[in-house]
Amino acid sequence: MTLSKKEISILIEIVFSILFAFIFIPYFYENNDNNLVLMDGLVRIVVEMIVFSTIYYSVAYSLLKFVFKKRETKDERDDLINSKSYKVGYLLYEFSLIIFIGYVCSRINFSFILKNLNNERLYENFTVTDAGVVFMILALLIIISIVKSLYQFYLYRTM
Amino acid sequence: MILKNNLKEVRQKKGFTQEELGKSVDVSRQTIISIEVYRYKPTLELAMKISKKLNLKIEKLFYFED
Repeated sequence: MTLSKKEISILIEIVFSILFAFIFIPYFYENNDNNLVLMDGLVRIVVEMIVFSTIYYSVAYSLLKFVFKKRETKDERDDLINSKSYKVGYLLYEFSLIIFIGYVCSRINFSFILKNLNNERLYENFTVTDAGVVFMILALLIIISIVKSLYQFYLYRTM
Repeated sequence: MILKNNLKEVRQKKGFTQEELGKSVDVSRQTIISIEVYRYKPTLELAMKISKKLNLKIEKLFYFED
């Protein structure tokens, strides 16, 4: 199976999303119940995220440029594939945003009810922390990015 | 009705490779392959560019089949 430069650049994006999820998401998952100001090493992890992204993309695209010396033309087929895959990504983003807002609102409502009922133990389980929100947003963005890139890759192989 | 074409036959007859034809009409080789195997329907602009390059009327190159 031979892959074109465009297909490999999509694979680079997919690998980045997977690596990012495995390296950085566990930190936010572990601190799910925390508040951002109370999280240890938050600044360090943000700096690591920026450094990792910069180094990864610089190395990956430099290698890609080195391997594929010939410049590939961008044409109407690329535009069509991009518009189709970004549309899927956008729809997923809209859908997950609605689910996310509904989830957060229901948790806030539950916690409010439980607080009124003086059920401290359950109240603790239903409170929404800002770190939890950050974790959910990051996880959603990574899943959407992977699905969009996989669909883009599929279209490049089949269209 | 299905939009078909005889791009492959005409291109080979005129002695163009997919790469050369693609370059001359500003598209990639993959796009030419996709058009030849009916996976991709080109825009009117691209279809006219290809037919002009192959010196053939557009309706001779692209046609509908029932």
